[in-house]
Amino acid sequence: MAKLLDKQRYKCALGAMQSVQAIERALPVLHSGPGCAQKLSDTNGSSGYFSPNIFPCTSINEKDVVFGGVKKLHSTIDNALKVVDADLYVVLTGCIPEIVGDDTGEVVSEFADSDKPVIYAPTAGFKGNNYKGHEQVVDAIIDQYLKKSDEKEKGLVNIWADVPYQDLFWLGNIRELEKLVASLGLTPNTIFGYKRGIKNIDKITKAEFNLLVSPWVGLGSMKKMEKKFNIPFLHYKTLPIGATETSKFLREVGKFAGVDNEKIESVIKENEDYYYYLIERYADLFLENRVINKQFTVVADAQYALGITKFLVNDLGLIPAKQFVVDDTPSKYREDIKKEFENLNFNIKAEASFETDGYKIHEEIKNHDYHGYPLVLGGYYEKEVTESLKGNFINISWPVQDKVVLDSHYAGYSGGIRLIEDIYTVAVQRFN
Amino acid sequence: MGELRQIAIYGKGGIGKSTTTQNLTAGLVEHGKKVMVVGCDPKADSTRLLLGGLAQKTVLDTIREEGEDIELDRILKEGYGGTRCVESGGPEPGVGCAGRGIITSINMLENLGAYTDDLDFVFYDVLGDVVCGGFAMPIREGKAKEIYIVASGEMMALYAANNISKGIQRYARTGGIRLGGIICNSRNVDRELDLLRAFAKELGTKLLYFVPRDNVVQHAEINKKTVIEYKPDSNQAQEYRNLAQAVIDNKDFVIPTPMTQERLEEILMEYGMMELADDYKI
Repeated sequence: MAKLLDKQRYKCALGAMQSVQAIERALPVLHSGPGCAQKLSDTNGSSGYFSPNIFPCTSINEKDVVFGGVKKLHSTIDNALKVVDADLYVVLTGCIPEIVGDDTGEVVSEFADSDKPVIYAPTAGFKGNNYKGHEQVVDAIIDQYLKKSDEKEKGLVNIWADVPYQDLFWLGNIRELEKLVASLGLTPNTIFGYKRGIKNIDKITKAEFNLLVSPWVGLGSMKKMEKKFNIPFLHYKTLPIGATETSKFLREVGKFAGVDNEKIESVIKENEDYYYYLIERYADLFLENRVINKQFTVVADAQYALGITKFLVNDLGLIPAKQFVVDDTPSKYREDIKKEFENLNFNIKAEASFETDGYKIHEEIKNHDYHGYPLVLGGYYEKEVTESLKGNFINISWPVQDKVVLDSHYAGYSGGIRLIEDIYTVAVQRFN
Repeated sequence: MGELRQIAIYGKGGIGKSTTTQNLTAGLVEHGKKVMVVGCDPKADSTRLLLGGLAQKTVLDTIREEGEDIELDRILKEGYGGTRCVESGGPEPGVGCAGRGIITSINMLENLGAYTDDLDFVFYDVLGDVVCGGFAMPIREGKAKEIYIVASGEMMALYAANNISKGIQRYARTGGIRLGGIICNSRNVDRELDLLRAFAKELGTKLLYFVPRDNVVQHAEINKKTVIEYKPDSNQAQEYRNLAQAVIDNKDFVIPTPMTQERLEEILMEYGMMELADDYKI
């Protein structure tokens, strides 16, 4: 039955324009109706190399629907190559050409001999949301650009995490994951953000393994690379936030990569010492402050819902109320992710609900007894409902409208500290 | 001058929709009626007999080459007995969306004022089965209110007719469209007349007319003419005149009651078709 999507928390698959934007000097070329890029108009931080939401676009109309839009697509790619200086051109298709049946792959293949690589990803909105679209872009790179390499670079690890821009903290997080992996003596390789881009894409097939840090986004791409390029992968489901999870992360990655145990433990000790030094200094605040109550709810995509729940239980000793996963996680991954929510310290289990209907989520929050001020970490949509319950609200997931994030992050030891700062900043402001 | 009757003709591909529609049109012309025929098939062969060949540039070809700023006479040609002939046309096979093409061309006809007050009938000759929303265009948005399905005693023709009735039923719920009856374009199948009558009754409609099979139809087609023009004195010409009269006189318009696949097969069994299948001789 059709239903109203109340409080939409993602974009359609064509939102994968942002995944392309996050690759330095890569350009989205849209085969879509006019205005499709406008869905990015409310995002910040993307006015970099080309533009925040203006791209070469076929802007197809009724005539193209009837007769097919392939000629227009050909000239749009052709002209984009002439007038925009980019390293990688990624054609993204919207709903119209996918329904009409334009053979985008055929048109793109006509540019196989051009000086710059042109690839395409089918990102029709009816295929799913931008989490799915992100995978399509990575898959397009794997299928159409990368070639199998017999040469391997010792210690080289590709790191993949959640969706750029959809995750406000994507840049800081991926840099932090790089630092953690590098601290084990490995060489991280990522393709998104400053000074990565095509030269790092070229290194992907030389890696010893892929490291996927996400509950589900990108898993298909990892399997594809394993099959196609013989690159094994480690699937680490939880975004490590704070000491407990980050130390576990380092041990698992280190073990998978064959890093000496002593080395791993010394890295962990150094990080944990500083982490707990900071916690200790503020222990009295955490203990004496009665504003942050025991119970919390996270409303976010699987990545943050899981990562933050683990952090708040394992590191801060809070108790989970119901957690809401709002990214429309494909059903085949849900059981697995639920189990992760039940795998917490102190025998605590969190109940996770996969729910995209904001109304239902808010009703559940309103009807739950938090035994004090609720602590809600979610999208901006949760601000009002939390305030109506006199709760404490932190905006951590899309849409984010009360903070500007340049390269801040929640991943790692330092990310855990940032999240504690954010939570207790709200707490200390309460009675100002 | 009566009220304009807009009629859509549906039926299985190859059943003879275009042939029947054009011969019926010729019959109506003889009755003094003013008729427009709109071909809704990318093959653009719905007006060939009225125009004496594929003399027509389609609406979509015209739009493609000249844009949308065109005059009506670029896409509307006068054929046999003053009939107005239009072919919607379509994209090249394998590209674009032919269904949307039909929507585009019918909208264009309206905008250019093709539906004049002196018309008595407009026929939409629609490709094969209803394959997507675009091909249902003539019965949507209150254009054709009257539908005839061309069928024969062959199983697939009846299967298609039943399927089309499902589409009609859907649109009948919200709009005023109704099924006017079944026109049998005979294939000389055993007990065809009985079968078609029973089939029509089950659909809640009637067999409007039984057009017998006659080779003169093929001869006329080779000569790019309707039978009425090619052999006005033949028996078949009279059959088409009678069909035209039946359409003029028809007052029975219903919402069809399509049957299940099982019921359809029961009817076929009842009229001996299934048993005869093994015994089929050419």
